[in-house]
Amino acid sequence: MSRYKDAVFGLCLGFMRNRADGEDMTHDAFIRGYDNLRRYHLDKRFSTWIFTIAANLCRNKLRYRKNHPVVEQPRHMTGGKDPASIIAGEDRQHRVAEALNRLPYGYRAPLVLRFYNDLSYREIGEILGIPEGTVKTRIHRGKAMLKELVLEGRDDA
Amino acid sequence: MKPDNIEVVLREALTEEVASAAHRLEGLEERIVHELGDRCPRPRIIDRLRELLAPTRHGRIGQLAVLGVTAAISLSLGLIVARNGQAGPTLTPALAPTVASRSNHEVLFVVPAIDANKVSVVGDFNGWEETPLDDDNEDGIWTATIPLSPGRYEYAFVIDGRWWGQDPSAHDYVQTFGQYSSVRYVGGGGDGA
Repeated sequence: MSRYKDAVFGLCLGFMRNRADGEDMTHDAFIRGYDNLRRYHLDKRFSTWIFTIAANLCRNKLRYRKNHPVVEQPRHMTGGKDPASIIAGEDRQHRVAEALNRLPYGYRAPLVLRFYNDLSYREIGEILGIPEGTVKTRIHRGKAMLKELVLEGRDDA
Repeated sequence: MKPDNIEVVLREALTEEVASAAHRLEGLEERIVHELGDRCPRPRIIDRLRELLAPTRHGRIGQLAVLGVTAAISLSLGLIVARNGQAGPTLTPALAPTVASRSNHEVLFVVPAIDANKVSVVGDFNGWEETPLDDDNEDGIWTATIPLSPGRYEYAFVIDGRWWGQDPSAHDYVQTFGQYSSVRYVGGGGDGA
């Protein structure tokens, strides 16, 4: 489990954009994984299988929140960066992370799976349940949107 | 920022986020294992009946009782059908083991044990002697297929010398001297064998 812990947490954190949710989803993904172990097929990579479970949990949670809004979701990662480094204008990562928060889920999810989890287009398609061609398109467009949002944020600052 | 640099920065940003929040994952394994360990699912009625029918040392009286009840039900239904003057289908005790179900079933044992060096399964089918599981592709999923005749089996995994008695694929769990073992019912349909 420890081999996949960081990878699943990174996926959940990237999808949910909130540490507490990322932790909850990681926990739930492993519990769900154990519960459904009998459905695991050995011809599938274990990582793909557990990532699929995590991605579905995150998507369902986000969908539920969209339909049942209670409080405004945090637009940024709490407790992350040193304000001094942001003020100094050195924090490119922070700007990209903020831009990622504003990206729609449909574009954010493939970007996280591609650039954090290092997955192939085929695997991403399998996990998200979309065709490989759609994955390529969304990653291409997602990157372009991310760049725009980063530049917007820089101009605002 | 160079436009073609976005992938690199995104990767760095996500890695940094995970690293700075890594403390939230401390003890996650223990929490999950405890949560799984606290569960003790209630066995289904069909599993209980199957247990009674299984050829174990305690099973003889239970088998006779259940067969008696089943025969009584069959007889009652037969009488009702006969009274109505219809030629109904032949009624047989649905739960009674058939000749076909007495043949061996290939039962798959699977356990995720990332980073383990040695995993085996012990149970009443192998006299509680270790049967090794394999992880040929080194993905941390250990498997063994063992031919078993229909019946009820208690077992546990031994992962690097540690007892792991709660297989999520089990039908039931039993606790003996404070230690859990898993229970699998083989044969009779729906046993996953």
